[in-house]
Amino acid sequence: MAYKPQYGPGTSKVAENRRKQMNPAVKLEKIRDVTDEDVVLILGHRAPGQAYPTAHPPLAEQGEPDCPIRKIVAPTEGAKAGDRVRYIQFADSMLNAPSQPYQRTYTEMYRYRGIDPGTLSGRQIVECRERDLEQISKDLINTNLFDPARVGIRGATVHGHSLRLAEDGMMFDMLQRCVLDKDGIVKYVKDQIGVPLDKKVAVGKPMDEKWLGDNTTIFHVLGGNPYRNDAEYVEYIQRIHSLRTKYGYMPKE
Amino acid sequence: MAETSYPQIRIVPARFLTPDTAETLINKILSTTGIRRIVLNGPRVPEIVPYGPARGTPNVVAQRREIEVMGETIKLQVQVGTILIELEDETPIPEIRKACETVLTNFPFTLQEGRFMRSSMTMTDYAKYGIVEDERILGIVDPKSKTRPIILQGNK
Repeated sequence: MAYKPQYGPGTSKVAENRRKQMNPAVKLEKIRDVTDEDVVLILGHRAPGQAYPTAHPPLAEQGEPDCPIRKIVAPTEGAKAGDRVRYIQFADSMLNAPSQPYQRTYTEMYRYRGIDPGTLSGRQIVECRERDLEQISKDLINTNLFDPARVGIRGATVHGHSLRLAEDGMMFDMLQRCVLDKDGIVKYVKDQIGVPLDKKVAVGKPMDEKWLGDNTTIFHVLGGNPYRNDAEYVEYIQRIHSLRTKYGYMPKE
Repeated sequence: MAETSYPQIRIVPARFLTPDTAETLINKILSTTGIRRIVLNGPRVPEIVPYGPARGTPNVVAQRREIEVMGETIKLQVQVGTILIELEDETPIPEIRKACETVLTNFPFTLQEGRFMRSSMTMTDYAKYGIVEDERILGIVDPKSKTRPIILQGNK
């Protein structure tokens, strides 16, 4: 029988949302429409319209050594063209943001090729070739993995994921890269590392509490989804913990 | 050494306050008599980006502004999240609670009584700062900071 990944345990809404994000067969729900140019502006790695700087010549010109692995693995577009490796980094609020650092990494690993995610407690960075990055970033911003108020695109100075929200519902950001404008739309006024932008980049309206509650992937008592309520998840974690403690990851009980 | 017997309270709103709300709230609180010291706490919003690739550049924050409190201009260096207050005695507490209830209407807040400011120096304080001459700021702010406390005229 062919192996079917289960993606994760749990019977709760949170567990279900986690599985939905990870499962590449489930299409991510497109919510907003941030353009390619806007993504380039927020990322701040190159000017919009500028050619992609390269780290090495295109693979076709470079002449690849005779290698069986290179024959099996098709290079991504960025790798083929010899693009530089660049990054996007997200900070997700613990107050019902739609994705969380570990969850993001799992999701991206299941869905994209040629990426190198880095997971930390309050932020998650993903590195890949520049033109692939722009496509992936667009996906991550335009779909249900993103909320303009509770997810921040922050290359540096990320502090804020575990703090209270501001009065207008925005996550704290020391550099205030994005602001909730008077028209109710969140706009980026600085790129991800905090350099002011020439024009405001709109990323849409913050999602309402109900949507955030229904789509959250974090267990949090304050968010209304206590971890203890999901008995299956707790049992699974306890099993892993016990196996690890007793057998040091050896697959026997 | 700071006097240890004065009652202290801590106000923690469920959201970080904008300078507008903070200004209104603090003015309302300060209109009551019997406040000795007050500290506005919260995560710092510096004027210059302190680290990262944009380090050294001005940190433009649209929301930042100076607030006017009892005729004094205060440069807010934090996004106000907690207010610590030391009182002469416990009588103005209900009035302060009422002030909070009038201003913080959109979200809840907690008002606790307890000890929130340091009353004597710890070993670590001595190691870090040496002898702190100005005892009014003990356990409230970094004594090495160049900014001084703002003295507000009392309304007794």
